[in-house]
Amino acid sequence: MGRYIARRCVQAVFTLFLVMLLLHVLSTLAIQLNGSPALAYFGDRSPTEAQIAAVEARYNLDHPCYDQPGNPCLGPFAERLGSYATGDFGTDLRERPVTELLAQAVPNTMRLFAIVTITWLVVGMVCGSIAARYRNRAPDQTIRSFSVLIDAFPVFVMLLVYKYIIAVPVGNWMQDRFGSDSTWALLFKPSFSAENPWLTLIVPGILLGATGGAASFIRLVRASQLENYNADHVRTARAKGLGDTRVTIFHIIRNSSIPVVTAIGFVFGEALSGAVITEGLMNIRGMGGLVWTAVGDSDIPVIISSVTLIAVLFLMVNLLVDLGYAALDPRIRYD
Amino acid sequence: MTEHTTPVPGIDPDFGTGPVTRSLWSDAFHALRRRVDVIIATVVALFFAVMAAVPRLFTATDPKSCDISQSKIRPQWFDGPHPLGTDLHGCDVLAQTVHGARPSLLLAIIVVAASLLIAFLLGSLAGYYMGVVDAVISRALEVFFTIPFLLAALLILSLFRSVEFGHGLFAVMLPPAIVLIMFGWVEFTRYVRASVLETKNLDYVMAAQTLGASDVRVIFRHILPNAIAPVTALIPTRIAAIISAEAVLAFLGIGIRPPEISWGISISRGADWFSGGYPHLLLPALTCLLVTILAFVVLGDALRDALDPKLR
Repeated sequence: MGRYIARRCVQAVFTLFLVMLLLHVLSTLAIQLNGSPALAYFGDRSPTEAQIAAVEARYNLDHPCYDQPGNPCLGPFAERLGSYATGDFGTDLRERPVTELLAQAVPNTMRLFAIVTITWLVVGMVCGSIAARYRNRAPDQTIRSFSVLIDAFPVFVMLLVYKYIIAVPVGNWMQDRFGSDSTWALLFKPSFSAENPWLTLIVPGILLGATGGAASFIRLVRASQLENYNADHVRTARAKGLGDTRVTIFHIIRNSSIPVVTAIGFVFGEALSGAVITEGLMNIRGMGGLVWTAVGDSDIPVIISSVTLIAVLFLMVNLLVDLGYAALDPRIRYD
Repeated sequence: MTEHTTPVPGIDPDFGTGPVTRSLWSDAFHALRRRVDVIIATVVALFFAVMAAVPRLFTATDPKSCDISQSKIRPQWFDGPHPLGTDLHGCDVLAQTVHGARPSLLLAIIVVAASLLIAFLLGSLAGYYMGVVDAVISRALEVFFTIPFLLAALLILSLFRSVEFGHGLFAVMLPPAIVLIMFGWVEFTRYVRASVLETKNLDYVMAAQTLGASDVRVIFRHILPNAIAPVTALIPTRIAAIISAEAVLAFLGIGIRPPEISWGISISRGADWFSGGYPHLLLPALTCLLVTILAFVVLGDALRDALDPKLR
């Protein structure tokens, strides 16, 4: 087991290195083709040569390789890795350190993910278990068509419809009816409010959870429980005369949760993409919202370091899931 | 698989009193054509495919000839020149919606076709030859898998935002297409590689190799046909995902860009006006987008069940 963990960790670090190299090569190529990104710093003003040179020096863009298309610029890459190692992720175009921006953003994203995860687990376990229990009968058919339907609604469209079509009129009505600081008005507020992070995140979180992954979760829970319904140990339990509820909970649901745990890593990636859309559209100040506004402002340093950090997060979650799989399932032995 | 049953010369294998054996494909076809939802979804998908191919069938108005003095006319249905009204710039909403089908669908088809090509090439190379080739390709798979699809698209398209690719629909579609392909081949390649690995040690493949068939022949004639079924089931779902990704990118202004027309662009322009009393600016494009995506998702779901050998 120890050797397996070590090997997976080394592999993850290597993948991360390749991801950073890929991001670096892409951004270098963009700079070489686009011309200096320092111009974005000045917005509409037209800077002098000296001003551009000063900004380039500040953002480490003064290396001559940036003027030679096709040059991968490995020197600046090594420098960047060095500064990442010391915890320096650079600054955004307004000279705020990216680490500070991210530190403010992470708690909101974590709140959003907490709501999303609860939605998945509740919707997935309840619907999946019902569908498996009543296989091929009305409840199963209904749940399957329901999951196709929510699968078809892209997160983006769902939130757009919610924000512009539902939240504005409902939120206004709630404000008139209960007052602008009431729980109901905040629940349907069409944008995030920093004073009430939980309340304003609930509806976007549920929507993201439902459209970004709940359907695959339902399917997975159903499939893995169906496998157990016909298993020998379940027949034995029934033959012993155990009650239906007990068999379902302790023999079927418990044994079918291992593949469900491993799916979390996979669905997590989908939720990360969904979080960018959700946070961007609903003005939530989270990591995804940071990327969304940075795309709008062409703020390259922020985009690169947030995407790097998100990749780290994703790698870590997948690593934990793989290790958890090995620890949970006694049939799997890796060494 | 049953495609490889060896018929006895002179005797029709389906002839006789025994159970009729059919290939996975004809089984799937028989199962699919009995389902009402599949038929409706196919009709809807074909309807929008025709709309994308010949938009002139549905509207005679040029979507790009806009008259600013005719701004924000409400839907006139059958009583005027603008059945669904006009938008902010006075462009006909019906014409914009009809002509918006082409870029959205074309982008999806180009991206899926190119990803499939790459997937079959790299997946079979990695699965068949293993060793160094597989190590390199698997590493690449992992790297591209680690950056979520949409994030990657946001990153790269905003990096290359001001690089000029020229004018016209094709040039405008090029950057989003490249990026979506770059991150779209991963899933397909995993499937192809897995089924190549599964198949290549089967007896009939060994037999072909022993008889002296070349690698190319073994891969294309004996191994890859097995990968087609699982990959085909993914295609409709993938098309749906690309159509919705296009809408997100257009909303952010980094996908297909004006003056070209797409559903994503119409949605992003119309969204702000919905609660201001002009729902006709948002709803036509949004409905088309949703109905198309739903049709492809239903098809994908049905295909996945029909092509799953375990459920036969």
